Amino acid sequence: MLEAVSWVEKNFNEAPDAIFIFRDDQLLISNHAAHALQADYGLRPAYIIKLMQNVVKQRQSQTDDCFNCTVLDQAKTVIPFNLPVKGGQPLAFSLVYTDLDHEQHVYSLTLKSNDLLQRMDQLAQQRKLVQYVNRAHENERKRLSQDLHDSIAQGVYSSIMGIRHLETAAAKADTAAFDHQTKLIENQLYATLRDIKGMALDIRPAVLDSFGLSAALKALAKRLEENSGIGITVLTHDTDQLKLSEDVQTVLYRIAQEAITNAIKHAQANEINLLLVAHEHEISLEIIDDGTGFDVNQHVSFNGHSLGLLNMNERVKSLHGTFQIKSTVGSGTRVTATFPVA
Amino acid sequence: MRNGNLAQDNLYHHLVQTVYQQEPFEFVGVALQETTSWRKIRWRFAAGNTNQRFRKIVLRSGIGIAGLVIRTGEPFIENDLAHHHYAGDTYQPITLVEHLTSAVAVPIFDADQLIIGVLLAGYRHHQPVTVHSGHVLQKYLQHCQ
Repeated sequence: MLEAVSWVEKNFNEAPDAIFIFRDDQLLISNHAAHALQADYGLRPAYIIKLMQNVVKQRQSQTDDCFNCTVLDQAKTVIPFNLPVKGGQPLAFSLVYTDLDHEQHVYSLTLKSNDLLQRMDQLAQQRKLVQYVNRAHENERKRLSQDLHDSIAQGVYSSIMGIRHLETAAAKADTAAFDHQTKLIENQLYATLRDIKGMALDIRPAVLDSFGLSAALKALAKRLEENSGIGITVLTHDTDQLKLSEDVQTVLYRIAQEAITNAIKHAQANEINLLLVAHEHEISLEIIDDGTGFDVNQHVSFNGHSLGLLNMNERVKSLHGTFQIKSTVGSGTRVTATFPVA
Repeated sequence: MRNGNLAQDNLYHHLVQTVYQQEPFEFVGVALQETTSWRKIRWRFAAGNTNQRFRKIVLRSGIGIAGLVIRTGEPFIENDLAHHHYAGDTYQPITLVEHLTSAVAVPIFDADQLIIGVLLAGYRHHQPVTVHSGHVLQKYLQHCQ
């Protein structure tokens, strides 16, 4: 039991938030973070007590609209509080009031650092993004494995069966059946060959490595147009002489892929335009569709489906580019990515 | 584009028109597989289409409804295309460009019993298709051949 008390004490002392415990106006205990604030930034306990007392008094005031408000009664008293720093940005805190012993007028005041809270939020976002990337990775593998199993293995198996039939036809010296079977096997093998090439293209477009970004984008547009029946136009300007790093090329290609796929799958677009334009020391890619559009604000935060956008944003940022989505319901979507070019 | 012979083209053109006029389907189409090395599958004939986008679609064996029928040789019947288990990963472009909710498709065979294409019929307003719808389509096919 004594041990437990010492653990609680240690926890109290080393908490990242500054905690003060008062009886009436008397400071009883405070932890290390509180000492540091008092010593380094000249925080006066008397001031935060006054601040808190005023807010509590105002809360109980008859003239306040919120008097008797149940929500307010249940909520902890939280007061935004700025501590000025000499020659620097003031530190932002939330001052939280907790009643410890009502009879003896003992209460605690905790100063939670807003910077710390924000940092926690960022960390949580980062974690979700990592999870998303991992899941996307795994889904990609699942799809590849399914493709291998369903289309390629199946195609090879059908061909093997066909050859068995061929043997039977040959044994019976049935030329008509033999010819028919040969045709079937040929068809089957062509289909499998197409599947393999299609998969190779899906995994990593070889065009990108050998013929550059514009050629790869044109091939991508053609393939997606054939897959969807939606007209996709690619316009490039002055991009032949560009020396783009492999990373930038890949990101631009993936953005085009994701944006076009989104437009086809979710936006019911009739037409998609893709512009790749080189400016002085800059390359910009724009994907414009005439689809249903969406409310961007609802989709930039986490809601399960739209992490693709956030992921694109992160990839662009990591290469010093800018990434922008403009969309309103009913008037299409415009995705823009720009990168500096040496 | 495949240089199909005129007699065959006429045949399929009349086929889709006849099915469209005599049956309650809202869309009827024929997709044919090219005989060139890539064996591309395109929607060549349609009736009840709302636009010309179907002409841009190019499928391959195993992909899309036509690709599936050509790969398997089996009729395809689906009453909930939006939630069909291929809907997410694999494209069903004809469903998208013509806003179909249900569809039935049967293989078209040539004289050697090789699959050369697909006859598809569908609805846009959740009218159901059944195994019987498939038989109806097969009956029209037999008539026209």
